[in-house]
Amino acid sequence: MPLIDDLTAELARLPGIGRKTALRLTYHLLKRPADEVRRLARALESVAERVRPCTVCGNLTEQQPCALCGNPRRDPTLICVVEESSDIGAIERTGEYRGLYHVLGGRLSPLEGIGPDELNLRSLLPRLGGADAGTGATAGAPGVIREVIVATNPSVEGEATAVYLQQLVRPLGVRVTRLARGLPVGGDLEYADGVTIAEALAGRREL
Amino acid sequence: MPVLLLESIVLQTFPYSETSKILRLLTRTHGVRSALARGAMRPKSKYGLLEPFAEGLATFHLREGRELQTLSGFELTRSHQALGRNLVRFGGASLLAELVLRTASEESHPALFDALSAGLAHLEAASDEQVEAVALAECWNLVAHLGFAPSLDECLACGRAIGEDEDVRLDHAAGAVLCAKCAPGGTSSPGRPLPAFARATLGRFLRGVAWPAPERTGAHWALLRRFLLHHVVEGSELRSLEFLESALQERSGTGGPDDA
Repeated sequence: MPLIDDLTAELARLPGIGRKTALRLTYHLLKRPADEVRRLARALESVAERVRPCTVCGNLTEQQPCALCGNPRRDPTLICVVEESSDIGAIERTGEYRGLYHVLGGRLSPLEGIGPDELNLRSLLPRLGGADAGTGATAGAPGVIREVIVATNPSVEGEATAVYLQQLVRPLGVRVTRLARGLPVGGDLEYADGVTIAEALAGRREL
Repeated sequence: MPVLLLESIVLQTFPYSETSKILRLLTRTHGVRSALARGAMRPKSKYGLLEPFAEGLATFHLREGRELQTLSGFELTRSHQALGRNLVRFGGASLLAELVLRTASEESHPALFDALSAGLAHLEAASDEQVEAVALAECWNLVAHLGFAPSLDECLACGRAIGEDEDVRLDHAAGAVLCAKCAPGGTSSPGRPLPAFARATLGRFLRGVAWPAPERTGAHWALLRRFLLHHVVEGSELRSLEFLESALQERSGTGGPDDA
């Protein structure tokens, strides 16, 4: 049946879903009330049509600018740079950060063909009062941003991305910091791996 | 289904499903293999660090004939984390990994494994001043281990041994040099001039020796690019080389490698 085959093929394109799981999901949907299936279809359609990257920070949003960029109670002097929009949720859940964000959309990975041009850097420099890498235009207010917090993942590629950002931002006179690396809270030193302990030692601080 | 404990270097990783990763590994005795590490992205994964350039003992349930093996353990021996703290080091390490990914097979090649392992360690240990020459030397050394080394010691046309102080022309497409008698120069002669001192430097690079480093490296990068594109990747794109070249340009503030 072409319709069932079409739906199965589309579901099988989703990450982590193989042909068998896609078929199981298809038959599950066919057993549900038609209204429920239509709600799912409408939700998918709305997301596809209305969710776009924020023109300021690159976060996925229905409104321009996004709720975080448009919130006057956020601290406009801080920008936290993350790899993906999903990282914002992880930081927001801590309740410890009140600044703004910038989403790169990935990290430097020469092996995968991801260089600086593939990342959302073009809109970062104008936010810091620097020139747009492509057009040379400046759109930001120089001196407003005091600090850029680089929150790329603690991997070798995330580290290289942080170094690249530091080289890009520091000449603008903006403080650049990096999230600390080390032992997890509630963890046990005995069971931590050597790399994590070495990083924790390198990043130790005065008591 | 034999269980094997293999010395391995992670060349590349891809996310697979929500928590797993597919790895491309260079093993010491079983060449390049792909392996699925289930749950590698979970916070309490049994694998620990599984990212490009990490070295360790990988435990495989090896099924010959299958493209994707299952990784059941990875005991880290060297993380090479410092490679990410300098863009030239990072680009150089990525280029070494890409060369292996593009050319190596499932055949056992312990010398290639040792060359890559040493290359990553040398890049990591090099000072900021040394790192460019080390990157050149390690790339050429890997090219030699992959079996693509240019012949520098005798003339391609007449077969005569080339003296230490002789200037020659290097025909990168032929992968060999021509003496002054066989290729007197000018636009009709094949290849490009390779002075005696540059030939000596290239000879050292092919053995993985970076010192004494050349004063000007632009011509060496241009030669490496031409050579790799012709022999190793046969005209297709070499992404890591482009990244490395732009990192070198950023560092020096110059317009890029010479096309000498």
